[in-house]
Amino acid sequence: MSNLFDKRDVDVAWCPGCGNFGILKLVKEVLEELEIKKNSLVNVSGIGQAAKTPYYIDTNMFGVLHGRALPVATGIKLSNENLCVVAEGGDGDMYGEGGNHFIHTIRRNIDIVHIVHNNMVYGLTKGQASPTSQKGFVTGVQVDGVINEPFNPLAVALSLKAGFVSRINIGNIKHAKEVLKEAFLYKGYALVDILQPCVTFNKINTYDWFSENSYVLDDSYDASDFEQAVKKSFETIPMPIGVLYKNKNSAVTFEEAKRGRDAKPLHSVTHDMAKIQRLFESY
Amino acid sequence: MTVEQVKRYNGSISILIGGAAGMGIATLESILNNAFKKSGFYVYSTKEFMSRVRGGSNTTLIRISDTPIEAPCWSVDISIALDALALKHMQGRCHKDTLIFADEAFGEGNAILVAMKESAKKFGNAKYANTYIAGMLFGVLSIDKSFLLQSIAEHFKGDEVNKEVAEFGYEVGVKLENKSKFKLPKVDIEGLKKFHQMDGTTASGFGFLAGGCNMLTAYPMSPSTGVLNFMAAMSKEFDIAVEQSEDEIASLHMVLGGWYAGARAMTTTSGGGFALMGEALSLSGMTETPAVIYLAQRPGPATGLPTRSEQGDLNLAVYSGHGPFPRVVLAPSCLKECINYGYLAFELADRFGIPAIFLSDQYLADSISMIEDVDFASYEQRRYIVKTQEGYERYADTKDGISPRGIPGFGDGLICSVGDEHDERGQITEDYNMRERMVAKRARKNNELIKEAIPPEVYGEGDIAIVGWGSTKGSISEALQNLNNPDLAQVHFAWVYPLSKEQLSVLGNFSHIIVVENNADGAFANQLRLHDIKIYNQILQSNGFNFFADQLTLMIEESIKEIL
Repeated sequence: MSNLFDKRDVDVAWCPGCGNFGILKLVKEVLEELEIKKNSLVNVSGIGQAAKTPYYIDTNMFGVLHGRALPVATGIKLSNENLCVVAEGGDGDMYGEGGNHFIHTIRRNIDIVHIVHNNMVYGLTKGQASPTSQKGFVTGVQVDGVINEPFNPLAVALSLKAGFVSRINIGNIKHAKEVLKEAFLYKGYALVDILQPCVTFNKINTYDWFSENSYVLDDSYDASDFEQAVKKSFETIPMPIGVLYKNKNSAVTFEEAKRGRDAKPLHSVTHDMAKIQRLFESY
Repeated sequence: MTVEQVKRYNGSISILIGGAAGMGIATLESILNNAFKKSGFYVYSTKEFMSRVRGGSNTTLIRISDTPIEAPCWSVDISIALDALALKHMQGRCHKDTLIFADEAFGEGNAILVAMKESAKKFGNAKYANTYIAGMLFGVLSIDKSFLLQSIAEHFKGDEVNKEVAEFGYEVGVKLENKSKFKLPKVDIEGLKKFHQMDGTTASGFGFLAGGCNMLTAYPMSPSTGVLNFMAAMSKEFDIAVEQSEDEIASLHMVLGGWYAGARAMTTTSGGGFALMGEALSLSGMTETPAVIYLAQRPGPATGLPTRSEQGDLNLAVYSGHGPFPRVVLAPSCLKECINYGYLAFELADRFGIPAIFLSDQYLADSISMIEDVDFASYEQRRYIVKTQEGYERYADTKDGISPRGIPGFGDGLICSVGDEHDERGQITEDYNMRERMVAKRARKNNELIKEAIPPEVYGEGDIAIVGWGSTKGSISEALQNLNNPDLAQVHFAWVYPLSKEQLSVLGNFSHIIVVENNADGAFANQLRLHDIKIYNQILQSNGFNFFADQLTLMIEESIKEIL
């Protein structure tokens, strides 16, 4: 089925069966269904297999360096708040190399959708552990298995009072779409951590493994209860999926606090030279 | 000839004030600078300070003159010590005729003892010592005290006690012996009115404002923080988005995001922070996203001397970032150039889609001198953004290599900017033909850029060129005036990279070239050598100070003695 965001003449560089295909399809469908305009959307990504996603979507994109999608996305949103800004990449990109930016982007509460493909392994560098790899995971580098505690992005995001914290499983596409749409509609920083298998380098955390080791938060779960969300975020096997936390009273966003509501895009902001003259002459 | 014997070309008087951090020397500097200017003198001041918030031993040098003055001198006419440590710290800069003032509580040797602390206490606050000293100094120099009282009134709005203290100090100064031996520089109260007094930080800030800077993201680092503060203050007056980033890596990436979406963005940093920006600089080069970087140097490597000065980061500015890509490095040498080059940095970055590095240093940033009226209307506000059509290609392969730059949401085109090698659309490619085309396209921008290279300023008609760049201009110029040797000429660069053949052609007119740099590696001389310029001699220094004009006079004299 064709989609408005299909990009023509591109050579997709993923392995056959890769979970990224499902995420690409999901993102394009959500964009189309939410009627987001191509030229008012910017997708920023770093480096890695997941970070290639924006290259396959027909929209504005800025493919930057490993770990740096978030500060670039911040600069874009600060420059023009009318743009819908997405930062997309993998677990190594966003939680490892870009870990410091992850922390401070949440603190800023910039109005972006932060999509992280979490396959618990490094794909592009061929199979090393990622920050989210499970303990005991054996690789060519972690020859005796991973000994570090896995990074918990949801708990970290909640500890920093992120307004929208979610996890989805690409194996459950219907549910994933609902959550991703909600993330796009949320005003403020929204984290969507996507469980996704790497069919080449992670033979443990497969489509089946993710389905067997996760459960969907049902209607009885109150996503506005912060303390409950914190507890949920520490559940590991099985992992809860869905919107863990959504701040009902969405806070003032970074760009609003910085420049006020309905600020002019900076490309049309010039300074009053007569005023510069006056200020200079006060010296 | 010794430093003390270096003949001053003008009737300048130099005053060195020393004390611990937190004693209020900056306030004293500000009051005196303003008062001296009102009195009709050209004023210059500079400071050297330790990397600590309280204590230690810092000095501020103030010079007054009847001609523009833009350099420090080592040897001073008057020395005022606010504490015992300062008295010792400043000893090396005093000669037999230097008037040394110290408090009676700690003064020794040939110091003239005055009751700074006791007098301040009498008026109720130890802090009045500064005002007392200002008054005393005006008394010693026999300058009309009304200018000082005006300056004090402006500084301490409404605090009458400070005026009384100043008057008291003035009377003490008038009665002191030795004071009569100072021949004051000529005054020009009316002429001085068209001058403004500021430091290099402020002038650079005005340059960036004139360049249309409307976004600044930075991590604080001495000595660059002044511009971050200036722009933050200016964000109350203008629409400027200022953000303190989590680290320097984020700073420059935010800047790139800003430009990508249409802002005129910059960051401020020093060498250590700029080292962290290397990858983002490279991203700017590859994605052809403009960037402006204010790089205020301090001595390295590593933490080095955090509050002192050096021209040690030229190689870092020129070579940082992996892979070749065009960039421009501008090193202004005075307040006027801080404004012009601040403006130009934005123009060049925008027009060529390149990073523009504005290279300052602690000395230039923190020294205060005077600048004549500037007409800001003459800085034309240009933008090099195009409204895009459907099918727009971000990396269109044009004749001059400059692809018209669209921004998202402005027109129907889509903007694909990519750090991987890419085709004209901005799609990743590993096609070797496309790679060669894109490398050549980026290189062609450099050919255009060097056409803009600004030739060095040349002063004097001698055959021997004393070549410098950036913040050393004032010192070289005063040293040459001290030497008053018709065989010498000054050649000074502000556009330091990339250098062009045309720009350097002036150097062909000289029999000998001597390069003065405030660093240990002679990085600029090496750049000249890459262009087959023969260097006869080099004068280098890396002690954390800028060159002192009197010391430099002797160094230059020494460096040419075998020619003459």
